[in-house]
Amino acid sequence: MSEENSPAQRVAIGISFGNSYSSIGFTSAEGKAEVIANEEGDRQIPSILSYVDGEEFQGTQAKAQLVRNAKNTVAYFRDFLGQEFKSIDPTPCHQSAHPVQHESTIAFKIKDGADETENTVTVSEITTRHLRRLKNSASDYLGKDVNAAVITVPTNFGDTQKEALTKAAKEAGIEVLQFINEPVAAVLAYDARPEAKLSDKIVVVADLGGIRSDVAVIASRGGIYTILATAHDYDVAGTQLDKVLMDHFAKEFMKKHKTGGDPRENDRSLAKLKLESEAVKKALSIGASANFSVESLANGIDYTATINRSRYELLASKHFQAFTRLVTHAVEKAELDPLDISEIILAGGSAHTPRIASSLQSAFPETTTVLAPSTSPTALNPSELAVRGAAIQASLVQEFDVEDIVQSTHPMVTVTPHLSHAVGVLCISDSEESGVFQSIVDAETPLPVRRTAIISTPREGGDVLIKLTEGARHIKVTKPEPKPKAEKTKSDSDDEDSDEDSEEEEEIREKTWKVGKVLAEAALKELKKGAKVEVQINIDANLNVNCIFREVGGKGGVRGLLAGGKGQNGSA
Amino acid sequence: MASVQISLPLPVLPEGWSAEKDFKAIGQLSQATDRNIEPVGPHFLAHARRKRHKRTFSEDDR
Ligand SMILES: Nc1ncnc2c1ncn2[C@@H]1O[C@H](COP(=O)(O)OP(=O)(O)OP(=O)(O)O)[C@@H](O)[C@H]1O
Ligand SMILES: [Mg+2]
Repeated sequence: MSEENSPAQRVAIGISFGNSYSSIGFTSAEGKAEVIANEEGDRQIPSILSYVDGEEFQGTQAKAQLVRNAKNTVAYFRDFLGQEFKSIDPTPCHQSAHPVQHESTIAFKIKDGADETENTVTVSEITTRHLRRLKNSASDYLGKDVNAAVITVPTNFGDTQKEALTKAAKEAGIEVLQFINEPVAAVLAYDARPEAKLSDKIVVVADLGGIRSDVAVIASRGGIYTILATAHDYDVAGTQLDKVLMDHFAKEFMKKHKTGGDPRENDRSLAKLKLESEAVKKALSIGASANFSVESLANGIDYTATINRSRYELLASKHFQAFTRLVTHAVEKAELDPLDISEIILAGGSAHTPRIASSLQSAFPETTTVLAPSTSPTALNPSELAVRGAAIQASLVQEFDVEDIVQSTHPMVTVTPHLSHAVGVLCISDSEESGVFQSIVDAETPLPVRRTAIISTPREGGDVLIKLTEGARHIKVTKPEPKPKAEKTKSDSDDEDSDEDSEEEEEIREKTWKVGKVLAEAALKELKKGAKVEVQINIDANLNVNCIFREVGGKGGVRGLLAGGKGQNGSA
Repeated sequence: MASVQISLPLPVLPEGWSAEKDFKAIGQLSQATDRNIEPVGPHFLAHARRKRHKRTFSEDDR
């Protein structure tokens, strides 16, 4: 098995390893992340292994075996790694090899050899075999033996799970350089585009997968990412959307063929129904309608049908609402308001669904950009975000010694003080007598930080006051003039009524600032007409603030130092 | 990072305002919150480098 490779011998790729699909990617010499298609031409490779007469199949070929050879087909196993049997939910494996307890771990009983004996294969071994196939596909494509990887994991993947995955990867000849969180990989994939501009923003990543949905609220500050809150849902994901279509087609089938029976009651019929329903679901992400067609669906009866997108959206609307709720719940958990969210990145396969993106867009203000194929022409493929991020990170760290990577990811380096309030200046606006706060460094920015602002001055120039303060974000709610009500008998009217009401007189919500603590004042004198002022703020990890105020293009300027509380008592 | 552009004007210096070298320190920043930053991306690597070598932004620029 591979020992640690010295950076010079390393060939590193990015891997996203989901319960449903896996992807492999690399960063080209030009610095562009690319997703690799395997021998079958797939970029989303089903995380499935199947054994037929001792031959191993993986990916799409293995998935097809779910119909005839379900017992020897292993699927949905990633989340079992490093877990105890009693803590897992085996439900996703109902139509494939069942997980069983084996010593302190989890295994599958499958006939994976040429003979007919049933072997107990641990989840670790299954993972190794799957990763080995991924590694080989990448090696074939690159023409070099891949021996290292950055692998994405969910934000709640624990240390024992990571250890188990590290071990399984090592057995496959892959040295794990680093695990990175899936949502962070998605943000990195977007930020690494050549046209991307660094900015300070709050990003929500909604990763809607096959058997789980995960949301993360991330403060992105000058390209540094801090997760503020996460939310997980194992009850609503792609599988439930498949189920909606399976139920629909099963019922339609029974209506049409009274003697056909319920295709959901026979394992093989059920498997066919599921595969085709997933394909129909994917087709409905692009087309306005899709065809369902299965030979011998049940009792030897072939079945074809058509469904249009609006019908599907109606049938699945409950689930779409659940996705939106999961996202708004995560924002609440971060103690933020929808108005604070600059972007929602839709990630994961289910994020291709147009209705999920549009529901989210309507639940958030117009100032929130929803990055999904159906809402934004510049959106990246949601199924590729994690692997792209992993590929970029792999290229960033592949030259480091493992020891260096470990040190850099240690809490000594990663635990960082973050500003609790925004820092900015007071400016004049026509609407208010007192100054209005203009943020220069946002709250939740990790320290140290340096930010610069260019600020206008009064038209005639002259002497100006720069008042540096903290600011607190405030949501201003304006209620429209109450309309006189013709009749109002019950105050607690039923839901439908109150819904209509709220639409009539929708309140206006705006993001404003409350001026907080005053930090410092500075004067800049004899500015030219139409001059601009540059304010540079440096804040170190001890909250010492170093600022420079000067006229843009002018000479001199004013400097000031504000000692932070920590620096005063803490210094030796 | 690009500079923050602020189009509202700064106020005129009030009559009689004065301070040594035109700067007056008044308050301190509120306590910071410790959080974990994600060890991912080029800007994190720059941060880690500065932290491990105890360098400032301007030393880093050179
Ligand atoms: N174009 C599409 N339209 C709608 N759904 C799609 C599309 N492509 C893939 N999916 C669905 O996305 C889900 C898989 O998502 P993804 O590949 O992100 O999962 P994963 O991360 O491997 O799985 P999990 O979340 O289960 O760990 C499946 O339910 C699949 O049917
Ligand atoms: Mg996933």
